[in-house]
Amino acid sequence: MITFDFIVNLLVATIRLSTPITLAAIGAVICERSGIVNIAMEGIMLIGAFFAAIVAFYSGNPWLGLLAGIFFGAIFSLLHAFATVSLHLDHVVSGAVLNILALGLTRYLMVLIVGHPGTSDPIPVGLSDYQFAIPVLSRIPVIGPMFFNQTPIVYMSFVLIILFTWFLFKTKTGLHIRSAGEHPLALETIGVSVYKMRYLGVLVSGMVGGLAGAYLSIENNVSFTEGMTNGRGFIAMAAMISGGWHPVGAFLAALFFGFADALQVRFQVFKIVDLPEEVFIIFPYVLTVIAVAGLVRKSRPPKAVGTDFMIERSED
Amino acid sequence: MKKSLSMLVLLLAAFALVLVGCQRAEEEQAAEPAAAEEQAEEAFSGVAAMATDVGGLGDKSFNDGAYEGLLRGEPIGFEARVVESKQQTDYVPNLSGLAEDGADIVFAVGFLMEEAVKEAAQMNPDTYFGGIDIGGDPEIPNFQGILYKEHESGFLAGLVAGHMTAEFSDASDKLNSDPVVGVVLGMFIPPVERYEVGFIQGVKYANPDVRVLSATAGSFTDQAKGKEASVAMIEQGADIIFHAAGLTGLGAIQAAREEGVLAIGVDVDQNAVAPDTVITSAVKKIPESIEVVLQSVVDGTFEGGTHVYGLAEGATGISEFHDFDSVIPQEVKDAVAEATELILSGELEIATTRAEIEDLLD
Repeated sequence: MITFDFIVNLLVATIRLSTPITLAAIGAVICERSGIVNIAMEGIMLIGAFFAAIVAFYSGNPWLGLLAGIFFGAIFSLLHAFATVSLHLDHVVSGAVLNILALGLTRYLMVLIVGHPGTSDPIPVGLSDYQFAIPVLSRIPVIGPMFFNQTPIVYMSFVLIILFTWFLFKTKTGLHIRSAGEHPLALETIGVSVYKMRYLGVLVSGMVGGLAGAYLSIENNVSFTEGMTNGRGFIAMAAMISGGWHPVGAFLAALFFGFADALQVRFQVFKIVDLPEEVFIIFPYVLTVIAVAGLVRKSRPPKAVGTDFMIERSED
Repeated sequence: MKKSLSMLVLLLAAFALVLVGCQRAEEEQAAEPAAAEEQAEEAFSGVAAMATDVGGLGDKSFNDGAYEGLLRGEPIGFEARVVESKQQTDYVPNLSGLAEDGADIVFAVGFLMEEAVKEAAQMNPDTYFGGIDIGGDPEIPNFQGILYKEHESGFLAGLVAGHMTAEFSDASDKLNSDPVVGVVLGMFIPPVERYEVGFIQGVKYANPDVRVLSATAGSFTDQAKGKEASVAMIEQGADIIFHAAGLTGLGAIQAAREEGVLAIGVDVDQNAVAPDTVITSAVKKIPESIEVVLQSVVDGTFEGGTHVYGLAEGATGISEFHDFDSVIPQEVKDAVAEATELILSGELEIATTRAEIEDLLD
């Protein structure tokens, strides 16, 4: 039963299932590194998924849909930045409110734009139609089909992991973002605005979160369904934590979750062990809880994450 | 101070939007039930209402089907009214609210509303209630549970799938030589189980050598997971994927389309989702059954308890083949017609739970 093909298929499925989690997780890494807790990833993804599908449907062009997903994810995340940075709200409260808002807003806009709630009409062309194999590299056994014969957003996620790691640890702005999350006062003292860095962190997470949503609605599938994120934004939080607030770590943790999910589906199909399906369905979530609980002691959050920063201005 | 104030504003804004999303412009005054009864002799006029489950209208499945049923009540004097439920805690207030606003009959849609509709029916004994996919209760005479023989629809769909994947795999280039089919489930609840069990039995009835793969996604709204389950089955040689998974199933159909195999839809005719992939759908005709219930309200013959609708009432079966009409051989169509006769005459009994068909499971 366990053939070579089975293993390759399993690993390709792992990438397919982990991509939205990877994207949301690396976005959350940037955000939390800047000091803002972002549990609104779930809502941001939903907004991104919605606008990507709507724009792709009405324009007939999935690339415009992709841009719309990124753009509206960013706009929506600005609400979080405004609430937490400028209005000094509690980060968790703002994030929770935005998740509820995203559910209500997408349903409202469904009725307004599509004419009914539920699911949108299928888009004529999806991003899965743009799957392309990179010559030579895609011929490598196992690694080839996993990483080099993919759809556009999956390639983007690979590039973004590298880009974000470089940005966070090798650039000046990256250093400033990390400082905003570790010791904001020190950053402000050297003349760099903590507000700006935190806005930037949240904005980046909004863009990548929107992209993660677009993956679900216009690359993996061809329509938007209310609540279609099904908790992936929260799984991404877990991936970020077990990944030690590092883009590469978050990616590996997301891969782990995707692998567990791909495995449980195949266990069900094969009927390898005779257990109620609920046991299979919760399997990835149980693994996530164990991973977070087991790794959380070793991974250290940014020191000032979740804390408010307010500049005292003297009246002169 | 400033902080808590702005927090409050943000919260209110969020809830305002949620509320706007939930409520529909159904502001007209309710016709008084008393007045309705007086007029019943000449021209009936009343209000037929429904509360959707969290899937809401536009699910292209049972919420839409129930709404269509309400609209069919218009010629016999009913005004249709809908409230959509955003979360499970909305069920009781929505159902009771409709009754208090003067509806003559209120429908709850979906197995997950069972507790809520029974509670609402007991709170409003003067209003009739109906529950789609919900069993009745002898203690609540003003509530009618409406169930369907999904296993009949599943059986006929399985019959088609079993024949096509085995003997007639040459009929379409989307079929392979492996006698394997798959079924993707949303959540494992009784109506879904009946679809699955009927399907498996239908496949085995057509050809006992065909393997049926099955997987449960655990959600009715997770397209990505529906797709993954479908892909995993196609990897194993499945060339026809049936789903009983609501919106999750749209992902299963999408996977079939991308991988170049065939699919069978559920609840309503889903051919329009992917006309080149969906050969037929295992349907339950909710509008037909609601029409029957509405007529019983007009006639004053409404009964509580459980009413099961099936092939005999024209409420179950499979939809037409559309573009695949020329692909499906006459032998298969004859087999469907023959099985339909046998089910109607009671000679062919179809199981409703997995426990009954254990020896058939792969």
